[in-house]
Amino acid sequence: MKFVRRHLLTAYAIAAFAYLLVPIAIVIAFSFNDPGGRYNYTWQGFTLDQWRNWDGVPGLRDAMTLSLEIAVLASIVATVLGTLIAMALVRYGFRGRGGTNVIIFLPMATPEVVLGASLLTLFLNVSVVTFGFTTILIAHIMFCISYVVVTVKARLIGFDRSLEEAAMDLGANEFTTFRKVTLPLIAPAILAGLLLSFALSIDDFVVTYFNAGSEVTFPLFVWGAAQRGVPPQVNVMGTVIFIVALSFMVLNVLFQRRRESPAQA
Amino acid sequence: MGFFHRHRGLTPYLLLAPGLVWLAVFFLVPLGFLAYQSLQSGTFDVGYAFDWAWGNYWDALQRYHAWLLRSLTYAGLATLLALVISYPLAYWIAFRGGRWKNLLLVMIIAPFFVTYLIRTLAWETILADQGPVVGLLRDAGILGDNGRLLATSTAVVAGITYNFLPFMALPIYVALEAIDSRLIEAAEDLYASRVQAFLRVTLPLSLPGVVAGTLLTFIPAAGDFINAQLLGTPKQAMIGNVIQSKFYNLIDYPGAATLSFTLMAAVLVLIAVYVRAVGTEKLTG
Amino acid sequence: MREQLTREELFRRAAFGAALVSVPGFAAACGSSKSSSSGGKNVLAKTLRFSNWPYYIDVDEKTKKRPTLETFKKRFGVDVRYTEDINSNSEFFGKIQGQLSRGQSTDRDLAVLTDNERFLSLMIDKGWTEKLDKDAIPNIANLVDVQKHPGFDPDRDYSLPWQSGMTGIAYNPDLTKPITSIDQLFEDKSLKGQITVLNDFADTLGLVLLANGDDPSKITDDAWKSALDRVKAASDSGQIRQFTGNDYTGPLSKGDLKACVAWSGDIVQLLPDNPKLKWGIPKDGGMIWTDNMIIPKGGDVYTASVYMNYVYDPEVAAKLAAGIAYVTPVKGAKEALAKTDPETAKNELIFPSDETLSKVHLIDPDALKNQSYNEQWQAVLGA
Repeated sequence: MKFVRRHLLTAYAIAAFAYLLVPIAIVIAFSFNDPGGRYNYTWQGFTLDQWRNWDGVPGLRDAMTLSLEIAVLASIVATVLGTLIAMALVRYGFRGRGGTNVIIFLPMATPEVVLGASLLTLFLNVSVVTFGFTTILIAHIMFCISYVVVTVKARLIGFDRSLEEAAMDLGANEFTTFRKVTLPLIAPAILAGLLLSFALSIDDFVVTYFNAGSEVTFPLFVWGAAQRGVPPQVNVMGTVIFIVALSFMVLNVLFQRRRESPAQA
Repeated sequence: MGFFHRHRGLTPYLLLAPGLVWLAVFFLVPLGFLAYQSLQSGTFDVGYAFDWAWGNYWDALQRYHAWLLRSLTYAGLATLLALVISYPLAYWIAFRGGRWKNLLLVMIIAPFFVTYLIRTLAWETILADQGPVVGLLRDAGILGDNGRLLATSTAVVAGITYNFLPFMALPIYVALEAIDSRLIEAAEDLYASRVQAFLRVTLPLSLPGVVAGTLLTFIPAAGDFINAQLLGTPKQAMIGNVIQSKFYNLIDYPGAATLSFTLMAAVLVLIAVYVRAVGTEKLTG
Repeated sequence: MREQLTREELFRRAAFGAALVSVPGFAAACGSSKSSSSGGKNVLAKTLRFSNWPYYIDVDEKTKKRPTLETFKKRFGVDVRYTEDINSNSEFFGKIQGQLSRGQSTDRDLAVLTDNERFLSLMIDKGWTEKLDKDAIPNIANLVDVQKHPGFDPDRDYSLPWQSGMTGIAYNPDLTKPITSIDQLFEDKSLKGQITVLNDFADTLGLVLLANGDDPSKITDDAWKSALDRVKAASDSGQIRQFTGNDYTGPLSKGDLKACVAWSGDIVQLLPDNPKLKWGIPKDGGMIWTDNMIIPKGGDVYTASVYMNYVYDPEVAAKLAAGIAYVTPVKGAKEALAKTDPETAKNELIFPSDETLSKVHLIDPDALKNQSYNEQWQAVLGA
């Protein structure tokens, strides 16, 4: 019984991860499919051709590259801007807090189609704008900020200020305190905000569609391709990104392990 | 240096400035235009004219309150489900994840690397009428002989839940991760059972994360349209679908704008009630 | 005296720092390369900016290039910026109407819109398309007769067909007996919950009107009402599972659907997944629709017209027809293709016989523009 109790949580967590990742498993599996036609619906045979010919679909690689560039940049900028807002909201009293909160919630509540269309209208009224990378990036930063604010705010609310005060009592100046005490403690929240922004950006369709000009991001490409059949190379690309991200984190873990070992010795 | 000394009270405003200016220019201004549009009347053919058409809002509410209610319901259900699934998951990562925490976090957002359409196609494969899941449910008697999972409200809510899971899981994880495990140990030293320790120590401390996750899930889910479009029938249409239809197919921009504001107002009201109910600034800032 | 940073000062600096961090957001942005395209009268532009639907042009799988475009580039010395960013008439229109309503250029010389939705005629009616330079398109004589005088552009001043497609009924013979009519599709109880229809009314209501004995190219209010009511009843009862775009293809090939309203070209592509699938024009008639090339306002008329002329060369049209697997509007393409690929030239779905063509109908363009009809249809779709 104790065995069950102790491992119930783990079992649940594994089930939850399975739920999250089973579709990914299917995507990965179908990247090895050998479909005769344009569609990739039924399993027809194992092949490595799609992997060998991973770049075989015109425009796919460019679309993915564009999406990644924008996602990385947008999530970093949005995280910085959002974290600052979160700090201001939690640590300071100031006029207009309620209004600020509303401004933060509104973008999340605005339906994408009107969000994208009205942003497009803004761009059209400012004639210097070139549609493409810039406009997409601006839009993505805009809708990601709110998510970062809410995420980081939650962490800052529970933050124990006495740790900072203790550090300063021990002679650390403001900057050192921030760098060595505050930042590490809110780092998980900042990372979470970054990840959420990245996810939002790399998956966005509607707002991007309006403001992309003739540029094509990965979601736009896939949505368009779906008209006539999504090529397996799309699965290949998704799999590659997934594996790269995982490997990155695995390396991160191993690297940390190395650093810790000498200390343990 | 002197500048900083002289302008102490400015700090919060300086912190807010970059982000708020960004939002002001790239969100509020477009929103203003949207508001202007919502008070126009006319059609695409003859043109739109701004004439303080407040009637638009009344018409919208009258005609579409059912869709609004349905959207809020679906979003609410999805949020609840996401909470139930995410909380134990976040707990496990925070307390048992060890050095693999960040890796596990990345795995939570991994589904977003393959776009929405691909994820949904994968689910359609899993939940296909001829597939194993439906087969199992039919054998178990949960579904009728001709029962299906796809093209039902179940599928729509499941789709919304799945797509917003990271938005619930990550904030909860952040809150749980911050909890000092020694507090829990202390509770147990004081003869609390594990369940009591959880209920009295962990849960309350994780509430800011739960609130954050709820907001990040419910608010965007209410405006979702894509899950209802691909996984539902006309009976599951959400307000997002109506807005899409008004904008793209009926070329009724004022209509789309009006409905959008109606949705936003409904969501804001619900948030205000929720935040009030949940408690003090300690939880919501 | 050593100055100590107070927390406030620190945050102030952070705030300014953040402002700087945002700058790379702008600086890193290199706007999309927009090569100047204006050619002027009878002068070819440097680049032809062509927006089209995905998989709607011939592609060489090995080289990843598009042969007809490559030949065009070489022959005329014009670069082609080919973007597959149209995946829905309504969405594309929603995107470009912003610029067009402000008199701004859409940065495109050619776009392709379908004639069975209102947006094509809307663009023409609003003056948002450029007139074709017919002097540059002598090959326009190769346009098949049936396409010469469409309702939305009677003299072909603004548009030229790209490819056509037909709407009919597809079914899975493993799961059902042949379904050859709308009556069967809607009334056969064994199909309940396992059929879908298309979500645009030209296709679906067109077929239903035909089944009711009415003419879809001249729709009366009564005919409309009967057809609409019929669809609504089938939807309410659960006979119709969903209203789909082309996302019927997955469920059809996987067996979730027994039959559905479907487009001709899709079935050709689905056969490798499920070779048994069948598609046919319903007993009472099917619908035909055509994707048309138009020049959005501000596009380079001469260069676009030269390209259109190129496409109407039977040899080129043959290659396109073979690559795209939809119906070509160019006379002589079938014969040209028969020389190099007689198998494909015989494919009824790509080169339908006159008999087949006599069974398909066009939708009434006025019905497409009727706002009330559109609203009623959207209501059936759930909105």
